[in-house]
Amino acid sequence: MARYAAGRVAQFVPILLAATLLVHALVFLLPGDPVQSLAGQRPLTDEVRAALHARYGLDSPFLIRYLRWLGGALTGDLGETFGGRSVSSILASRFPVTMRLAIVAVAVEVMIGGVAGVVTALRRNRYLDNVVLVATTVLIAVPVFVLAYLGQLVLGVRLGWLPISGTAAGWRSYVLPGVVIGAVSLAYVVRLLRAGLTDALAQPYILTARAKGLPERRVVTRHALRNAAIPVVTFIGADLGALMAGAVVTEGIFNIPGIGGELFRALQAREAAVIVGIVTVLVAVFLVVNLLVDLATAWLDPRTTHE
Amino acid sequence: MRRRTARTLIFALTMTVLVAGCGAQDAAVTTTEADDIDEVVDDDQQADSALTAFGCTVQTLLPQDSREVCGGRIVAQVFSGLAELDPVTGEPVPLVASSIETEDATTWTVKLVDGWTFHNGEPVTARSFVDAWNFTADPDNGMRNADFFADIVGYDELQSGQSEELSGLELIDEMTIEITLQEPFAPFLAKLTDSAFYPLPSIAYEDIAAYGRQPVGNGRYELMSFDPDREAVLQRYEAWAGPNPGETKEIVFIIYTGDAALQTAYLDVQAGALDVLEDVPAENLTTVDDDFGDRVVRTPTSSFTFLGLPMYDENFGDNAPLRQALSLAIDRQAIIESIFDGGLEPATALIPPVLESHRADACDTCTFDPDRAVALFEEAGGWEGPMTVYFNSGSGHEEWVEAITNQWRQVLGIDTFVYQSMEFAPYLQTLEEFEATGPFRLGWSLAYLSPEYALSDVYRSSGGANFFGYDNEEFDEALEFANAADPGDADELYQVAEDIVLDDLPVIPLWYGVSTTVHTDRVRNVTVDATTYLRVERIRVVD
Repeated sequence: MARYAAGRVAQFVPILLAATLLVHALVFLLPGDPVQSLAGQRPLTDEVRAALHARYGLDSPFLIRYLRWLGGALTGDLGETFGGRSVSSILASRFPVTMRLAIVAVAVEVMIGGVAGVVTALRRNRYLDNVVLVATTVLIAVPVFVLAYLGQLVLGVRLGWLPISGTAAGWRSYVLPGVVIGAVSLAYVVRLLRAGLTDALAQPYILTARAKGLPERRVVTRHALRNAAIPVVTFIGADLGALMAGAVVTEGIFNIPGIGGELFRALQAREAAVIVGIVTVLVAVFLVVNLLVDLATAWLDPRTTHE
Repeated sequence: MRRRTARTLIFALTMTVLVAGCGAQDAAVTTTEADDIDEVVDDDQQADSALTAFGCTVQTLLPQDSREVCGGRIVAQVFSGLAELDPVTGEPVPLVASSIETEDATTWTVKLVDGWTFHNGEPVTARSFVDAWNFTADPDNGMRNADFFADIVGYDELQSGQSEELSGLELIDEMTIEITLQEPFAPFLAKLTDSAFYPLPSIAYEDIAAYGRQPVGNGRYELMSFDPDREAVLQRYEAWAGPNPGETKEIVFIIYTGDAALQTAYLDVQAGALDVLEDVPAENLTTVDDDFGDRVVRTPTSSFTFLGLPMYDENFGDNAPLRQALSLAIDRQAIIESIFDGGLEPATALIPPVLESHRADACDTCTFDPDRAVALFEEAGGWEGPMTVYFNSGSGHEEWVEAITNQWRQVLGIDTFVYQSMEFAPYLQTLEEFEATGPFRLGWSLAYLSPEYALSDVYRSSGGANFFGYDNEEFDEALEFANAADPGDADELYQVAEDIVLDDLPVIPLWYGVSTTVHTDRVRNVTVDATTYLRVERIRVVD
């Protein structure tokens, strides 16, 4: 297992290098002059424009620009924005925010989704099962920004229970956006778990376990749930990766200063250093999460080996 | 038994949501009625809590480099210039200067008031200004506002590297500056209100990029902390030497980012988490009066939207009747009503209504007149093939551009239009390189309040924002003549220049913006000036 993990980690290096080169090339190919878009409708004088091109290294050929960035990155300098802010400080300020949001969202998925999944599997086709079925269908169908806006309007403006935006209120700030982001995935978790558990409970080994006289609670948690959890773990792992980069819309609606919003802004401003810096970190997160999911699968199901 | 409990609970939850949903409507109505605002507020009633104001992603807080409102609104509080705009009259009034005088509009003598200091205690002297100006105009420093100094003697030599300083700036003594312009320019006083002319303390030059993130200014408010992702905290500078210090002790600009920034901020004002938001998003304009009652402030702005025409393209450049026909065929009022909820002012002049020199009837080809449009269109020889219309994407221009082309289709019978929707940077590049083959959307707002600013950069043959290739010597001369004139006669002369452009019609004027501001009931005296800056320093918090 340890050797397997080390091998996977070694693969990270070429993948990360390829990702940075690719992103650099894509930003380079974007049309338009980034310096001009900084200036708005009133154009810059040629002299100032030339000076800014030189300052941000925009006058050098692509490969030089990439190698210069790579050299900096290897020494821990990820470059800076046009405003002179270092990319590392942006990551340091924004990454924890995104992490917190992702943790709340995943917690909502696991806790509510897990309980609902188990309950519905055990009470199949009863009233509660049907209610959850309808609720999850609605959650999957409703676009996330509608959910977000409803939450803001009802819980924030009308009732005043939760802050609408920002992170000033600490963990309370993350409740509403976390639940909104987690809601759709929660619906998938319920369905995956319900199907998996139903399937597992019909297996012969469950019959054996019951025949041995094990209490029902133990049969479900130790035997059935362990097998049913595998697709859920895979799903949550993929979801965690997606939450890191894909929360642009939700972050925007709730004005959460996370990674997604900054990536979006940097793309509009064509700030190559910021884009590449963030994407590199995101790729790294994806790789690590994927590895963790694979290791977790092996632990849940000893038949899956990584030798 | 247990199952029944669960069922009851779910029923109860569902009902709560439904009831909350219904209650929402009633609540909105009652808030409006219950809102009683008393205009007179005694000083002792003022609250100690901070005013929270809308902020957005700041590029830089260095006044000499700041080109956008997000940084500009903070810079305007942290710095004070030689003169500032009176928020009500729009006239420039001396602030750090005791007098700004000229005999011939070419040589300007500026005397400073004694006793001004930067927030670190450094006195504000003539050198604080002159050094900052030389720094800004020097192209090596890459300051985006460098071109504000282009009319000062020695600018060209500085650009070409022949000199190190603007020779037109002279330090007479510690408190007196003499500025010599290349040509007479009467609106110079108005121009001096711009942030490009703010002073810098000597520590700024040690690390100008770091200073731009945490500037030490001489303004009404001192920047206590700035987190570009979250907020800027400003505290009143008690040693501020001007006549009208800030009203509240503390202002917090909350930074909103992303596409939904304005909508989120709007909800925050409704919930009371944000005190004031200028620039209500277009989606909320229909409901803003219901949502906020008398806590809505509307101000006309100088923001001018128009379609530029490619005068360098023979189809347009040599065909004045076509340009006029296109303009006459647009029913501006109808578009404003149906798309913008009436929240705009149709444009019938180039000099905007916030200026006294504005004439509502300046342009006789800017009103809807289908018969005249058709006649001129025929005289122009019609239009062959598809017409391409250009605009930048993602800023909500799609809908009204389409409405205009529909009107052209109906009135003039041009049947095919091609929409070129581009991102802002490539869009500007296309325009700069004179590659457009049809009308293109543009906007212009006044950085300082003078008809000169409404005309010069846009229509002068060498103007930086003249994307149409418009080149009329008669206009250039008329503008120069107006710039040199006595302030008393200047307005009329700018109007002469304006008429020349309107006769040629290289642009199709569309409308002027109206800024809509909403606020909570704990603040008073919300004023937006004609350059669309919310004057946060005048707002009082009463709780």
